[in-house]
Amino acid sequence: MTSRWKLGLVCAVCIGLASALVPLHVDAQKTDRAKALGTKLMCMCGCGQILTQCNHINCPSSGPMLKELDAHVAKGEADDLIIQDFVQEYGEKVLSEPPSRGFNSIAWYIPGAAFAIGLGIVIMLIRLWRQRDVARLATASSAPAATQDAAAELHDIQIERARRQADRDTED
Amino acid sequence: MDLFGSYALLVAFAFALYAIFGGIAAIITRRPLLIKSARNAGFAVCVLIWIGIASLWYLFFTDNFSMAYVAAHSNRALSPYYKFSALWSGQEGSLLFWSFILSVYVFSVLFTYRGRHPELMPYVGVVLAGVQTFFLILNNFIASPFQVIVGHDAAGLLHLATRADGSGLNPLLQYPEMAIHPPTLYSGYTGFTIPFAFALAALLGRYPGEKWIHLTRRWTMIAWAFQSAGILLGAHWAYAVLGWGGYWGWDPVENASLMPWLTGTAFLHSVIMQEKRGMMRVWNVWLVFLTFMLCILGTSLTRSGAVNSVHAFAESNIGHWFWGFLLTILIVCVAAYIKNRDYLRSDNQLDSMLSRESSFLFNNLILLVACVAVLAGTLFPVLSEAVRGSKISVGPPFFNRVNIPIALFLLFLTGVGPLLAWRKTSTASLRKNFGGPLIGGFVAAGVAVALGLREFYVTLCLLLSVFVTLTILSEFYRGARVISARTGANLFSAVSQLTMRNTRRYGGYVVHFGMVLVFIGICGQAFNQDKQMDMSPGSSMTLGPYRLYLQNYDSTQEPNYSAERASIDVEKGGRSVMMLYPTRRFYPSNQESGTMVAIASTLREDLYVVYAGTNPDTNLPVIHAYLNPLVKWIWLGGAVVVLGTLLALLPNRQAVMVLSTVGAEQTLPVPGSTQAAQVPYSARSQLPDSHD
Repeated sequence: MTSRWKLGLVCAVCIGLASALVPLHVDAQKTDRAKALGTKLMCMCGCGQILTQCNHINCPSSGPMLKELDAHVAKGEADDLIIQDFVQEYGEKVLSEPPSRGFNSIAWYIPGAAFAIGLGIVIMLIRLWRQRDVARLATASSAPAATQDAAAELHDIQIERARRQADRDTED
Repeated sequence: MDLFGSYALLVAFAFALYAIFGGIAAIITRRPLLIKSARNAGFAVCVLIWIGIASLWYLFFTDNFSMAYVAAHSNRALSPYYKFSALWSGQEGSLLFWSFILSVYVFSVLFTYRGRHPELMPYVGVVLAGVQTFFLILNNFIASPFQVIVGHDAAGLLHLATRADGSGLNPLLQYPEMAIHPPTLYSGYTGFTIPFAFALAALLGRYPGEKWIHLTRRWTMIAWAFQSAGILLGAHWAYAVLGWGGYWGWDPVENASLMPWLTGTAFLHSVIMQEKRGMMRVWNVWLVFLTFMLCILGTSLTRSGAVNSVHAFAESNIGHWFWGFLLTILIVCVAAYIKNRDYLRSDNQLDSMLSRESSFLFNNLILLVACVAVLAGTLFPVLSEAVRGSKISVGPPFFNRVNIPIALFLLFLTGVGPLLAWRKTSTASLRKNFGGPLIGGFVAAGVAVALGLREFYVTLCLLLSVFVTLTILSEFYRGARVISARTGANLFSAVSQLTMRNTRRYGGYVVHFGMVLVFIGICGQAFNQDKQMDMSPGSSMTLGPYRLYLQNYDSTQEPNYSAERASIDVEKGGRSVMMLYPTRRFYPSNQESGTMVAIASTLREDLYVVYAGTNPDTNLPVIHAYLNPLVKWIWLGGAVVVLGTLLALLPNRQAVMVLSTVGAEQTLPVPGSTQAAQVPYSARSQLPDSHD
């Protein structure tokens, strides 16, 4: 394949994917305020969906809640105030994500903490394993001080190890 | 006949107990006859479970409404297709179905390895029988699908009763995919029992080396493929049936299926480290244990009512049994680990930070963090209620916000990992391997931004998708070029040869490409549009480039339901392009309604139209239309993932050639060494680093 072919292939992939996504942006809807607020609230019918997405037939909750939301927006109330009204009426369960304060804020910290702890462990392991490798090499380099037979034996072992590793690297 | 299945399950339970205790005795005494006897008991358990489930199917097909389970989930007018799938629509039947699929796996394993690996298989048999025993306890004593209906007469005497007709199947389940999705997902869940059994058996029996990994590799991949397909089929079912315009709602039950998939994916990657470098032995064993435990946790969440979900079965106390089983597994695993941890000690060494080994470590880290994030979000409402006394909701916004960055990092690693060499990657190699794909990614993102794309995550996803696609293409190209130069084959033929020589590695790349397609499909969600209107005949609504005319709406009567149907003419660019018929069904047997969404799907977008019922104020049909871009890419990506996994399951072509040459009786050479023998050193040195 010539470099011109390669370039063509790269361009085709780039343009193909870009052109698949970009026109969608142009068509994208402008979410109105009620819709945006609706994504911060849950439907209280127990379906576990956010308010604007629940369209279960005969859902006893989503219709009245959406009407209530529209009424608040029509009055020109502030977003925080509207959300607060819903919390007072239905409890914290109406919020589609845990509040960022108090005990429930822990939910937000768990993934980050898991990442930080995991990252720490991975970095620690990498350092530990690299030190082992360095130590192994140092031991190997001090081997010439031993007798010639021992050096030859070590050499054979290393060759055998390398061969086994090559086999593993090239096998299925 | 009514209770035939019940007896079969009871006898199966007795045999399962024998398989456990006979197996333990066989391990202790090492008597071949006892080993064989325990194994045969394992076979008997499987056959008896098959008899049990066949009996329940018979009761469904013969409309035996003296059985409580049949009466609750079927009715006379239900089509045979749904009578078949109704078996797993309730708690009791689905648990029996779980036992059934598990028994298929167990039978296959016991049969495949009969007379082989005598140091390992008795342990495997005991672990598998232990898991089967737990489910048979549920099938027999806790949630039996063979309970009869009992009535009492005027004198108050109890007697067996029969209902004239059943309550019928939940409308949401009367959809063709329901005959595929649960069996597929259950095959994933139960399939992870096999690597779990081998891992635990290897640990208990101090089975030497990496052999158990080799033995379970294909079983794990099969389970993983089923789990992937099951998750995507579930998403497609939710999309096509629930009528809310989406396919993934971060529902606890969806999350429950995702968590073992994440850890299973981590295992499939980290296991390569153990095979190639003898590293991560402890980690791999625990990853398999964790995956199995998450499978059990997942099904307990669905069945216990611990968390709210549209998918959940009725709330019951069965959850206690699952928690008990989970605790037992944990204790056994911890005890086995503490007792035999010396056996797992490995000489982990790392030459460089820039190596394949490091990329696998980070891959595992990210997959595990994603799992923790999903688990935390799923269980946090329960924790909050326990601590504060009031439940909170953890909905899609939380999961999206937390998981999108994690998923994108994972996508980045999907591109980076395969290009790093084992042990150490030089800077020159980095430049050579990453230069083109990175430039390609930035060009694509630049073009998109220049054309007006402003969503940060979508742009980043586009960049990474192009990057990963190009890395995959370059891997195929570099390998195929060497073969082409050596054999004179054309490039496409060389790609085919290359793939078949190392199906696991190149099948893996195909899976990665499938994931890229899924990511692109998910990106489309950022541009969803929808509109809802009360429509009178002749009226229209505009959504994106489409104009929807409601021609009329009518009703029909079918044997099992009545239906209201809207006939919608769809215009694009001023001309009619299709007719859509969204339907709402009413099932009199259980007084429930269901939607049949009309979807016109193309690679660019889905036009998704729901007949949402009639507005009681206006008495007009309510039509809810969605324009969902790129959704088809997700299903396409899922198909590619499954195909890639199937490809990876195929034996390498060279191994097959050797088999036909030397005959089955002779020991097969290792595929890698075969390659080494056939390929001249000069040619081998030109091949890209062989890795998976």
